[in-house]
Amino acid sequence: MSTTLTIPKLQMSATEGTLIEWLVEDGAVVEEGQPIYSFETDKSVQDIEAPAAGKLTQKVAAGETYPVGTEIGEITPA
Amino acid sequence: MSQDLGIDNDTLREIYTQVSRIHQVDRAIQAGLSSGKFQFTYWPLTGQEGIPAAIAPLVTNDDHMVTIYRGIHDQVAKGVPLKGLFAEALGRIDGVNKGKGGSPHISDPDSGSMLTTAIVGAGAPIANGIALASKMRGTDAVTIVNFGDGATSIGAVHEAMNLAGVWKLPVIFLCQNNQMGEYTRIPDYTASTDFASRAAGYGFRGVVLDGNDVVAFHKGMKEAIADARAGNGPVFVEARTIRLGPHAGVGDTNHLSKEDLAAAKETWPVPRTRKLLLDNGICTEDELAAIDAAAEAEVKEAIEWALGCEPTGVEEMLLDVYADPTVVPRRGQRDKRAAEEPFTGEKRELPMFQAIQDAQETALELDDSVIFLGEDIGESGGVFRCFQGLQEKYGERIRPTPIAEQAIMGAATGAAIMGMRPVAEIMFCDFMGVCMDQIANHTAKQRYMSGGRTHVPLTVRTVAGAGIGGFGAQHSQSTEAWLLHTPGLKVVYPSTPSEAKGLLLSCIFDDDPCVQYESMMLTYATSEEVPVGDYRIPIGVAKVKREGADISLITYGWQVMHCLNAAEELAKEGISAEVLDLRTLMPLDYDRIFASVEKTGRALVVHAATEFCGLGAEIACTLNDTLHGQLKAPATRFGAAYAPICFAKTIETEQIPHAGTIAARVREMLK
Repeated sequence: MSTTLTIPKLQMSATEGTLIEWLVEDGAVVEEGQPIYSFETDKSVQDIEAPAAGKLTQKVAAGETYPVGTEIGEITPA
Repeated sequence: MSQDLGIDNDTLREIYTQVSRIHQVDRAIQAGLSSGKFQFTYWPLTGQEGIPAAIAPLVTNDDHMVTIYRGIHDQVAKGVPLKGLFAEALGRIDGVNKGKGGSPHISDPDSGSMLTTAIVGAGAPIANGIALASKMRGTDAVTIVNFGDGATSIGAVHEAMNLAGVWKLPVIFLCQNNQMGEYTRIPDYTASTDFASRAAGYGFRGVVLDGNDVVAFHKGMKEAIADARAGNGPVFVEARTIRLGPHAGVGDTNHLSKEDLAAAKETWPVPRTRKLLLDNGICTEDELAAIDAAAEAEVKEAIEWALGCEPTGVEEMLLDVYADPTVVPRRGQRDKRAAEEPFTGEKRELPMFQAIQDAQETALELDDSVIFLGEDIGESGGVFRCFQGLQEKYGERIRPTPIAEQAIMGAATGAAIMGMRPVAEIMFCDFMGVCMDQIANHTAKQRYMSGGRTHVPLTVRTVAGAGIGGFGAQHSQSTEAWLLHTPGLKVVYPSTPSEAKGLLLSCIFDDDPCVQYESMMLTYATSEEVPVGDYRIPIGVAKVKREGADISLITYGWQVMHCLNAAEELAKEGISAEVLDLRTLMPLDYDRIFASVEKTGRALVVHAATEFCGLGAEIACTLNDTLHGQLKAPATRFGAAYAPICFAKTIETEQIPHAGTIAARVREMLK
């Protein structure tokens, strides 16, 4: 079963966030817990870890701001 | 047993198992939230895992816990089933509270997790009530109430500590000092940074323990819990720890500098406890890995199960507000409730205050779980003389309290959650404001927030001082609309001694929280033949006090008297006014209200409470909606002018409806 990646709501007040950069290549195989993208919301930047292991497919470009809940990629078991 | 640590190996393994379970839950929630798989509000506990883990081996399901929204670690270690916990956080019907409480309001009485509040510090007064019930039932159970350092600034905690001290309650006030009150660090919100020493101010012991050192913390808690179990009264424990996450959300806190965060992570109980067990030869790496793997698997299974549960359906919306869903006011509602049978037994002449005392004594005789709490209700016999000789006769079931309404309401709420039937006297209804958080956020909502797992069968008696004059703006209000706006409460307002007795007894034995308003205008001035013994008037049943044909005066409390006088006046002019005494304000007796107005074709709702946004407006609107086309004039309302109650009698008399002004309004409506 694949795991959908969506823009998270990291703070109570957050409505959107910026995907600063992907930390792994599109199509790369990632480990659970491996940082996969750098994310900024409410002036704080943090690395978001992979919620599952598998092949990561990117669905949106880095450098853009997206509303919370936007689908940005998925991880399918490798 | 490891010589160095002084705790047996099984206990240490149990503590680490809990640390690992908490950590896996925290990790999984953070992963789920940051991937977008979950969307719920989370207040991370990262850094505080060691505290509940070290307590777990010292308590059983018979010991009770109260905690706050940052309390998932407390829930996990207390034994709340993970499947139900995740389903609850996800808003699913199979959650421990049917998805109605959610991540900030988990409770699971089976494991002893009794209530979780999202109001900082508000759990402490309730923990007292839970502990009081345990103590009065003769068990040796302890209640641990968790709160953060931020809660040491709030009044509820201080009121609760004072009451626990004076009543020697088996409560542990467990302050998880994570060094940040939401977003503000300690030196910025208090000049007194030693929280444990505050206990001395309330006459009991306070200790500081290192909450990140599971060995030291376990040993300290063992002593504290033993002390409370032995009946030596409360202990305040300040568990020093540090929050590694933000106030809410996921990831690292951004309230610590990089260096401070790195230093804090050095003491993080998850790797630290693991290392401790390894270094002391208590577990091998393989054994620890097996504990971690089991925890991870348990969490994974729970999440998969929870994600498969149905979201809580809309059909649940009005369930668990009250035990009986028909109590909830709904458009078009016309439930018929049976009135009391005519009473044919023995009666005796009593003024209202003695009828109330009679009801209280009857309840004490009928059921051992009935207890009374309130200011001055001991030897002095109560400010309103409703407790004369009761403490002498019933001992500790009559519990005079400090002047601390939050402590009173919290204790009553906690005891009620435990199945007792407490009756709290809040001297004047103006003081509701002091304890409004307890009543509105806890007493009223617990049945709903717990998904019906617990309920709060308590009664509040309170006096409205208006109409007599001389009490001023803070002892003369009619505050019933404050409560009517809060789903979960029932409100009664008798106008005769017999009804005061009959309604109070129904309230005390009702399974929902009830508030009885008593008007000081009537308490001493009215007297009548009152039924002897267990006499009850059903809640939610109005009564016609004077029949009429031209208009319905719908009213309650001491305004019944004014309406009857107005009707007498109007009769001389050939106007026939019916007076309907609501007796209960929630639930309203819509059936009898409609029946009266269908007959007369006109309605004026009269109350002493402020007219603006009052109950009268609600009833008048419902009548106009429902009986549209059948009315001879629009239904309307008449309440107090929009001003605080004035001390000067000249103004007080005129700002509240009285016979003269009521009659004038009726004449206008009939023009």
